[in-house]
Amino acid sequence: MSIDAPAGVRAVDSQADLLERRSQAVIDGVESIDPDFVLHLASSTLKIVLDHFIAGAGVRVGRSVFAMPREEEGVAIASGLELAGSRPVMIFQDNGIGNLLTALLTLPQPYHLPLFGVVTRRGGLGEYNSMIHTVSERTEALLDAAGVRWFQLDARTPVDRWAVEIKRAWDFSRATHRPIFVLVNLMGG
Amino acid sequence: MAIERADVLRQLDAGFADSPVVLSLGGTAREMLAVAGRKGNHLISLDAMGQTISLALGLALGLQETRPDEKVVVVEGDGSLIMGLSVMSTAGHLKPKNLAVFVLDNGVYLATGGQPTAAADIDMVAVAKACGWRDARDVRTSEELADAVSWAASAPGPVLIRVYIGTKQLQTNYFLEDPAILAEDFRRWLRSTRPAASVG
Repeated sequence: MSIDAPAGVRAVDSQADLLERRSQAVIDGVESIDPDFVLHLASSTLKIVLDHFIAGAGVRVGRSVFAMPREEEGVAIASGLELAGSRPVMIFQDNGIGNLLTALLTLPQPYHLPLFGVVTRRGGLGEYNSMIHTVSERTEALLDAAGVRWFQLDARTPVDRWAVEIKRAWDFSRATHRPIFVLVNLMGG
Repeated sequence: MAIERADVLRQLDAGFADSPVVLSLGGTAREMLAVAGRKGNHLISLDAMGQTISLALGLALGLQETRPDEKVVVVEGDGSLIMGLSVMSTAGHLKPKNLAVFVLDNGVYLATGGQPTAAADIDMVAVAKACGWRDARDVRTSEELADAVSWAASAPGPVLIRVYIGTKQLQTNYFLEDPAILAEDFRRWLRSTRPAASVG
């Protein structure tokens, strides 16, 4: 099913096409970081990305991929990995932002640890869950209130730029010694 | 007669003088500072309640290739453990051989006034084993503690030692160090005790 578009606007992407192309861009971006640890939370939106790292081409010797039962636990584990000199990447969904704020603001933020996360957006165009927008729409406001730096990748950024921007955001976390999140909209918008 | 926390901390400091030691917040950290002073190998978590083991788990995972024969030691409290109990399943699943957790169980949140925890009804040794930890044991005496310290240093991890302690507290000052300095001091200690290229 194609998404309706106004006359003169190209309408080539089905929801599935969009999800696939943007997911591949995220995969390419994370792979360009070459993480040795990938920590993830359950997310249907992230299925293509997570499948790549759990059982696909992203499986490799020297890389550990495992699930975080809670976002705050992932923040603490990633903080320990950063102290050890590892290259961890967290991948999770924006409705978990509220869970991790205390851990984020009591570990990596004050300890000046460059934690990096890729956070998929929910609750916007293409959303099928009737309540998730109630938390997801507040993601930016929550992060702003917490003083956490974030970048957004959505329809305003050509998808062929996403991988480069994800790598730049990782580099920015190293340069500024603090948590950096990239918010990626895989569903539309 | 119950062992007191300060006595346990002295034994742990002496037993793991050259290993990374991650300290839980509140009285545990302050009493360790009182009995042992500032140590480069001690990483102090100042306020992340419930995340001490998770922090140490990440450290252990990150160090297991470069420092395989050295334990990352965690000094956790019963209250903080319960706040982040899900890490028991994560650590049991990942099974880092270099992780040893000492849970100092006084049954209360002592730093905040002695409110009771749910620890009395939890068999932590059984929980650890059920979650896939390689081994776990209870400790009630100084002799058992001395034996457990030696055991934890050499046994394949992850291992958990629940140490039943009393509620006596040392009088300590607040510890007001900048956390960024704590992190950098710890990283410097890591760099100074292994090849520099392996620590970021």
